[in-house]
Amino acid sequence: MSTDGCGAPAGGVSAPAAAGSQAVVEGKVTRDGAAVSAGYARLLGTGDEFVAEVPLGADGGFRFFAAPGSWTLRVLAPGGLRAERPVAADYGRVTRVDVTL
Amino acid sequence: MSRSDVLVDADWAEAHIGDPNLVIVEVDEDTSAYDKGHIPTAIKLDWKKDLQDPVRRDFVDKTGFEALLSERGVSNDDTVLLYGGNNNWFAAYAYWYFKLYGHDKVLLLDGGRKKWELDSRELSTDVPQRPRTSYTAREQDASLRALRDEVIDAIGKRNLVDVRSPDEFAGRLLAPAHLPQEQAQRAGHIPTARNVPWSKAANEDGTFRSDDELRQLYEGDASLDFGKDTIAYCRIGERSAHTWFVLHELLDLPNVKNYDGSWTEYGSLVGVPIELGEAR
Repeated sequence: MSTDGCGAPAGGVSAPAAAGSQAVVEGKVTRDGAAVSAGYARLLGTGDEFVAEVPLGADGGFRFFAAPGSWTLRVLAPGGLRAERPVAADYGRVTRVDVTL
Repeated sequence: MSRSDVLVDADWAEAHIGDPNLVIVEVDEDTSAYDKGHIPTAIKLDWKKDLQDPVRRDFVDKTGFEALLSERGVSNDDTVLLYGGNNNWFAAYAYWYFKLYGHDKVLLLDGGRKKWELDSRELSTDVPQRPRTSYTAREQDASLRALRDEVIDAIGKRNLVDVRSPDEFAGRLLAPAHLPQEQAQRAGHIPTARNVPWSKAANEDGTFRSDDELRQLYEGDASLDFGKDTIAYCRIGERSAHTWFVLHELLDLPNVKNYDGSWTEYGSLVGVPIELGEAR
């Protein structure tokens, strides 16, 4: 399971109680130490295939219930800010991906 | 109809804020975004609380729709400009819904809330108070809505467009990946359906792709026969309303219906055929 080198533990956070049978991908987006609450997180598959998108929460947070596999997380924010991270998801696991813009 | 009759961009919307007879409406499943800030003068519609029957699985009836719009201060003569989050899914659903009940002048904001936010345009927390009206709806236009028996009968005959993600189409997921995976009893898709995810019709900022790109997507890449009637479906009918808007309003195809029962109904029906696996 890949990480992005920005703080997510290798292999994601194993939290079967929270994930249940779901393959959860979640994290927070920050810029200069502050939460980015205006913006969007997109989960993309192979070849940039769109999977899902959520607006960032007030705390910069996002969460996806993905299928197991390798995905790309893309963050869009006002001012043309964007970032991309590889992410791997698996059933019964919460994979944490925090993003700094 | 053509694109310019049904779709406006953010510059147009910004320039027309405050116009008499223009009612801007934000539509979402989760209206907390509206409460945090919305396009100035916009009112809100809650997709679930306002537009769905609280008891039966159906949307509000004609009388209910009339009561809702009267209470919100929308007149029959008003131009209604719809926008929302989720790349306009629920706004497109509301557009289809307004058309179903015969509202004349309805527009969709290209890119919806996302484009507006990414452009850093003004958001307001002021909630406008519109004077009550006496709204009259028409009987539902059955030519825009497909019900389950018609869908089953359309297998192998009409274009069936499944606009969910490839994982939902193949049966690996039951819902979009930002929602918990529960809903229909069975996963998969309606036999003979083509998979054209709604997202292929949109750019990254939520705006619609050009007419030429859209024609290529449906008629070229997905080999849809534009000479046949079409039914679009997804999970609960909101993403397929987005595709209905593309096919019926932007590309001007004459006979396109939205199956709002969609997979949460079809995937729970007893005895109907289901296919699993990748798009063919």
